[in-house]
Amino acid sequence: MTQRILVVWCPDWPEPGQDAGPEAARAFEPVVAAVEEFCPRVEVLHPGACAIGARGPARYFGGVRALATKITDAVSRHGFACRAGVADGLFAARLAARAPQPDGGEPDAAVIVPPGETPAFLAPHPVGCLGYPDLADLLPRLGIRTLGEFAALPAAQAANRFGADGALAHRLARGLEPRPLVPRPASADFSASAEFDPPAEQAERVAFAAKSLAERMHADLAARGLACVRVQIQVTCTDGREITRLWRHDGLLSSLAVAERVRWQLAAWQVAQSQERRSVASSDGITALRLVPDQMVRAAGRQLGLWGDSVVDDRVARAALRVQALLGHGAVTRPLLAGGRDPAEQVTLVPFGDAADPRHPAGRPWPGRLPAPSPATVFPVPRPAAVTDEAGAEVTVTGRALMSAPPARLSVGGGPWLAVTSWAGPWPVTERWWRPADSRRRARFQLVAEDGSAWLAAVQDGRWQVEAGYE
Amino acid sequence: MLPGEAVLPVLPPLRELLPAGGLQRGSVVTTGCWSLLCLALVAEASAAGAWCAVAGLPQLGVAAAAEAGLDPQRMLLVADPGPGWPQVVASLLDGCDLVLLRPPDHPPAGMRRRLEAAVRRSGGVLVVAGDWDGAQARLHIAGQEWTGIGAGHGRLRARRVQVVADGRGAAARSQARWLWLPGPDGSVTAADDPAGAPGEWPEARTG
Repeated sequence: MTQRILVVWCPDWPEPGQDAGPEAARAFEPVVAAVEEFCPRVEVLHPGACAIGARGPARYFGGVRALATKITDAVSRHGFACRAGVADGLFAARLAARAPQPDGGEPDAAVIVPPGETPAFLAPHPVGCLGYPDLADLLPRLGIRTLGEFAALPAAQAANRFGADGALAHRLARGLEPRPLVPRPASADFSASAEFDPPAEQAERVAFAAKSLAERMHADLAARGLACVRVQIQVTCTDGREITRLWRHDGLLSSLAVAERVRWQLAAWQVAQSQERRSVASSDGITALRLVPDQMVRAAGRQLGLWGDSVVDDRVARAALRVQALLGHGAVTRPLLAGGRDPAEQVTLVPFGDAADPRHPAGRPWPGRLPAPSPATVFPVPRPAAVTDEAGAEVTVTGRALMSAPPARLSVGGGPWLAVTSWAGPWPVTERWWRPADSRRRARFQLVAEDGSAWLAAVQDGRWQVEAGYE
Repeated sequence: MLPGEAVLPVLPPLRELLPAGGLQRGSVVTTGCWSLLCLALVAEASAAGAWCAVAGLPQLGVAAAAEAGLDPQRMLLVADPGPGWPQVVASLLDGCDLVLLRPPDHPPAGMRRRLEAAVRRSGGVLVVAGDWDGAQARLHIAGQEWTGIGAGHGRLRARRVQVVADGRGAAARSQARWLWLPGPDGSVTAADDPAGAPGEWPEARTG
């Protein structure tokens, strides 16, 4: 019997084939947490989609439709667009989450395939959505265009003719499950655990044990040529409660850092507990700690080369981690200087502990890049400005980079009007004209005001803004 | 991390402006408003291997910092330290020799003294872009003029600034120096007094 599966799909994340990166996985965490409120066993398919078994929660929440609505509402409250789909089997549920709404339905409502109707739901889909590129190429040439036509073949013939992949694809096309849903702790083999007898009363003792556990876990993984991207920390209390939290781990985190995370987790839990006004004595002790590596990747060495030879000093790493504990992972960044035309574009801010490539590669020509000296102040969001000529009319620039009049007065961000003593420009910049979505046409100026301040201003779509200041 | 010298080095043209000829460990230095002067002040120490944390300055131009001589690989940026910024700054001081700070608000005297104690304890240097009552040294830019740009021609090439220093104790006497900040290649060098002989253009000097 095939399991009823509910898939939550967020269209804002890239498709699984594309490189998602650690940021996408982390950004998806709130969605997983929101879904976890409804069902503790959430399988993350890829950043952007996760699945739960629907039968149990649907009974509890009053039907599949009610469950799907509750989940999409909960995810939307976190500010993410999402769709839900329910069907027999993971494959059909994934398609249902992306399927267009049948005529007359609300656009955001979940697509629910009734039990037993999954083969009929799958039938009109093209064979391309099976995810086997070879078959997607071959089958249409044999005149088999849809899953329904493929499923109509006898299973034995499909296996004979198309091999193991074909047999698997044939099962999918018939609405059968090729594999059971694997709950998230899929990699229990590499977990490391410790028990505390008598129960540990203090977080320090647990954190200390976590350090040696993390060392053991790292050694186990490294021996198999693996590294894990996330680590799940499970803490069991004397009253049987289990606190589980997933933490990102990009290879830079030492065993010390894992211990630090255990400490944060316990701190967060103690705060939550005092809010619940539970008696502290009944559940204060911790009996077991378990570290489970999650989302394994092949160990490809650390990307220290990205930053040359500079290895992060332990003291610096501890300070950065402490600030991350206070403000969140993304609050502490290291700048990566690379290519790009704008002063703001040239810098990629990488959260401390992550490895990332600059958005714009260095070492390519960036025509129109500003020469040194670079501005010391680069506004994260350009500030609106107004530039007028002697007569007080706004200076405009034509498509052929001709100015209406020389700039004479400048006001930055609604500030006082200052006379422009010297200026240079317009320097036209036309970017990515071949891609309408993010193409830009601007004319840039350098303006020096009477108080000695110098600005990098640009006029785009008839509006002046200040991108940077040379203070 | 620099070994435990008592004074962190600064660029040569700034040495005479600071009481110890550099950035005294455990001290607070102010630079008036946020400007390239903050970056110039920490550039030499950063190039020599010190880590530099920057708090409360989302508008920091990293390219300008690199041109001034800072090593971006040894920078930590905390764009928004939030309402608990004193604790963030104290944590950063534990790890970094240099902390550049623009305080989001004016700290009460008690808080200020606690942070000063944290600076002394950690042996770092706190460079404040703004006011700080108990600072050991204060620099600010008193005047500036840009060269290389005219009315509709040229471009910004270099800026000559007058940096004025005053402070407490040995630094109580006010001093002023003219600097190229930035020079034509972004670096920081000494400049002639424009009131004297008209300053040569640095390009002409380097040939």
